Amino acid sequence: MTGGMVQTRATLVERRVIGAVHELRLHDPRLAARLGAGQAVLVRTGWGMIPYLRRSFYPIAIAADSWVLRLPPDGDLGHAWLRLAPEGSELDCLGPVGIGFRLPDGVRRVLALGEGEAAWTLLPVVVEADAFQLAVALAAEVITPRQAIPPARLPAAVEYRLTTVEGGRGRLDAFWAELLPWADVVVAAGSLAFYRRLAEAIREHRFVITRGFAQVLYPATFLCGTGACLACVADVAGGRRRVCLRGPVFDLTDVVSDR
Amino acid sequence: MPIELAPRNKRGLPLRSPVMAGSGAVGYGDCWPPGLDPRAFGAIVTAGVTMRPRSGREPPRLAELPLGFLLATGDHNPGYRRVVAQYAELWRRLGVPVILSLLGAEPGDRAWMATRLEEDDPGIAGIELPVPEDVNLGEASAFIAAVRRATTLPLLVRLPATRAAHLAETCVVAGADALVIGTPPPVVYPAPDGTPLEGPLAGPTALPFTLRGLRAVAALHLDVPLIASGGIQKAEDALLCLRWGAVAVQIRSLVWTDPAAAMHVAESVHAAFAADSPEG
Repeated sequence: MTGGMVQTRATLVERRVIGAVHELRLHDPRLAARLGAGQAVLVRTGWGMIPYLRRSFYPIAIAADSWVLRLPPDGDLGHAWLRLAPEGSELDCLGPVGIGFRLPDGVRRVLALGEGEAAWTLLPVVVEADAFQLAVALAAEVITPRQAIPPARLPAAVEYRLTTVEGGRGRLDAFWAELLPWADVVVAAGSLAFYRRLAEAIREHRFVITRGFAQVLYPATFLCGTGACLACVADVAGGRRRVCLRGPVFDLTDVVSDR
Repeated sequence: MPIELAPRNKRGLPLRSPVMAGSGAVGYGDCWPPGLDPRAFGAIVTAGVTMRPRSGREPPRLAELPLGFLLATGDHNPGYRRVVAQYAELWRRLGVPVILSLLGAEPGDRAWMATRLEEDDPGIAGIELPVPEDVNLGEASAFIAAVRRATTLPLLVRLPATRAAHLAETCVVAGADALVIGTPPPVVYPAPDGTPLEGPLAGPTALPFTLRGLRAVAALHLDVPLIASGGIQKAEDALLCLRWGAVAVQIRSLVWTDPAAAMHVAESVHAAFAADSPEG
């Protein structure tokens, strides 16, 4: 269940360090109660005004009173501050932003498709679908094994396919023929190039991209999250739209034209 | 006692609080962040509108700077007709004066929209006219005078902060009821993907430009209200602007990045203003 945006003071209650990656659990009951899979949270990082802009995160886990953000290894100043913030720190959070993934009534088989780090943002919808006792398959294509979601992080009933480009096991293309005809609905997170490949594969294996079949998370960066600033616009759904209001989850046909 | 932004205009433009939501801070009055509502502000200035729809700059549009950011939207807006049709009813019931920001792609566009506003009467209390960074005195005078002839609505002229003193008197003579100081200087910086973006500075880094322009224009004693805009992040910033000659301030980036802090600024400055007024 999601609702309107709130500005909260979340408390950093747990830090999990896996190599260079940090996962932070934030105690934030007011925001967690409104947050859905695929919605963004804008987090202020730093003690003063440096950096000035909030960082956008898509939670990788959502519980009743908390949510988890993942910090991949990168050189971002705001992310660096979060890596150093001690447990007990209070973080200023604004969210949820936009419209997330929706599991339509009547679906039984959910296919989650992720590319690289973005695959992690699918975890909440995978968990939600499993909780509804739907058949769920997650297929992820990562560059390095470090980006991969460990099988232990998935519900036991979820079928998992993983390809690592560096490991020589190639891309997800080998699985399209098997997985796409099986699925009732697809949820995906990755780059626009990944979505174009997905669209091509759907055309090949299902002949046409039906509206409602595939939902994709648009890779946008937000400033205000309310639609005022016009920073997050994207050329989708036949026009230049504000991702924070119309997305960030769009129907694949809105992102990749069916031509 | 309310603040009067257009004392020489027969319609007047009274504000109950000196803190305004700057241009586009809350979109067209339809984009409110959590914890903020129209009661927080003395007035709101809408996002800019042009005569015809503009799809604006293609993404990316945002680059982060030290102590601020650069936002290049390319005047993205749905155009005058759609804006008025879509928001007039909202403006009438917001309970706060709404000031429409008019942008001009062509000479005469702004005067055309001002004429239409007289006919359409969409419930706005005034017009804000941004003066482009590169206009000369003659051009500024001509387009402001054209808008002045077209409407009796209070006219707030937004000046480029770095040229405010140079342009101020000409704009007042041409018909400005109040001066907004001002639009921070344009800068160029790469977006995260390396795309070069050009646009005005935003965020706290803009405040020194605002203060410099404000002091310079205040020293001219032009007998029109001055409104400070650009870089205001704290109640202290706003109160400093009021001490240095402004009668009101506009905040925008703070509304976007920290709505709770924006509310604090609005409440604190309003409280200080009320305490200082004769009836306070």
